[in-house]
Amino acid sequence: MLILKAVGALSVIGVITSTILATAAKRFYVEVDPRVEAVAAALPGSNCGACGNPSCFMSAEKMVSGELEPNACVAGGQSVTDAVAAILGADTCDAIAMISARHCGGGDRAVRAYEYAGVRSCAAANRLAGGPLACSAGCLGYGDCVRACPFDAIHLDERGLPVVDPAKCTGCGICVKECPRGQITLLEMVPESAPVVVRCNAHDKVKARKANCSACCIACRKCERECPADAIHVIDMLAVVDYTKCTGCGTCVEVCPQDCIDLYGRAAAVDTMAADGRGGGAITNVTGKRIEAGA
Amino acid sequence: MSGVSQLALLFIGAALINNILLTRFIGLCPFFGVSGNMETSIGMSLSVIFVMVMASTATWVVWEFILDPLGVGEFLYIPAFILIIASLVQFVEMYLRKASPVLYRAMGIYLPLITTNCAVLATATEAAKPGFFKMNIALGASLSLGEALVYTLGVSVGFGFALITFAALRERLELVPAPRLMKGTPIAFITAGLLSLSYLGMSGWFGL
Ligand code: SF4
Ligand code: SF4
Repeated sequence: MLILKAVGALSVIGVITSTILATAAKRFYVEVDPRVEAVAAALPGSNCGACGNPSCFMSAEKMVSGELEPNACVAGGQSVTDAVAAILGADTCDAIAMISARHCGGGDRAVRAYEYAGVRSCAAANRLAGGPLACSAGCLGYGDCVRACPFDAIHLDERGLPVVDPAKCTGCGICVKECPRGQITLLEMVPESAPVVVRCNAHDKVKARKANCSACCIACRKCERECPADAIHVIDMLAVVDYTKCTGCGTCVEVCPQDCIDLYGRAAAVDTMAADGRGGGAITNVTGKRIEAGA
Repeated sequence: MSGVSQLALLFIGAALINNILLTRFIGLCPFFGVSGNMETSIGMSLSVIFVMVMASTATWVVWEFILDPLGVGEFLYIPAFILIIASLVQFVEMYLRKASPVLYRAMGIYLPLITTNCAVLATATEAAKPGFFKMNIALGASLSLGEALVYTLGVSVGFGFALITFAALRERLELVPAPRLMKGTPIAFITAGLLSLSYLGMSGWFGL
């Protein structure tokens, strides 16, 4: 008897709830744009959040409504971009891959405020009165990024500065997170096609900056004036490249009296320079500077 | 004590003194899962308040009119309540999606998460089934529907309150120069422990 009652009770509840749900599914049916579902299926579906949306489905919705570009999926890369673009009938655009870049050229040219003799780690040094460098934005050079890189893509050179190997860098961004100077964008992710990179991110007054380091940007605005593409600007007393405009002509690299703009990027302007017959091919450019890029 | 102050006591007792997250340790998964970010924890809190109150109402009604009269509640209450809560959440999700896309965006992704949340089940059971409600208030053996609602509201508001304070703490913790091995979840656990201690400090207020 009890069993019958139990079965009956649960069945009654089950029937009532399922009827309600079934009616609700009909009555509250919302039409979903079939393209949204198709795009969502094309995305990796791991809800990683790298595009800035909580779920792949949401970014699919935004891609269909045009709020996001088809290349917004960071994790998916080119194949996903192509698939999404095909569904949306848009011209396919390039997936923007990023690589890490260092905005500091100080190294052994940066003045030390004190002698640091502690643990050879940037994080430790940075905590001791902001690090031994007089410049509060400069690279400490103990290589936390080097040790953190899972792809062996960063190495310290003879100047004590970490050099990113653009061919090995996968754009994971771990070095950027690891660098204790991260909040002032010493290491930054830039588009892999970025042809040049400014090697300074100090925001002190220019006079103080010059006393701290002989490699700094002195905000003379030469690059800004000479740049034919209007792609480099001195913002807050610091040269900043707009990578959407930069054509990689290398003018700023040539005119900078401080040598604080370098050619950069995976394939970058190295070939252009070499083809011009200027400079020594892949190792130096016209200013006689080392080229880290692609070399 | 008059009725109103009794209810106020019920609310405070449920929200603060017997906080479901920090003194009773129920529903800890969302407590750590979504507290990394202020926005999501607010969305989650709102959804929990909403769902808990509805779930308690539904379970109370079902207990009162189906399970108890048939005498099968004693062993059937868990499957029955889960069934009710799950379909209720489903229903709410569908309804929200149609009726208020804005609200759906704010709460939508958390609703399915709550379906099987232990905190919701626990509160709904306490509110509906006599003998589960343990707070030291003279209220009679089983809660009336009004009392059940106030109690559930208290619990869910306490849930939201704890979740949001913790999210605020965790957002600041991100900027703290914590040792590398402590960064992220480990230090969040320790913080949660300290937060829980401070909540335990309230036990005994008003004899609750
Ligand atoms: S870039 Fe940052 S982490 Fe790398 S060596 Fe310089 S200060 Fe250290
Ligand atoms: S020319 Fe060189 S020093 Fe002058 S603003 Fe440009 S980068 Fe800085």
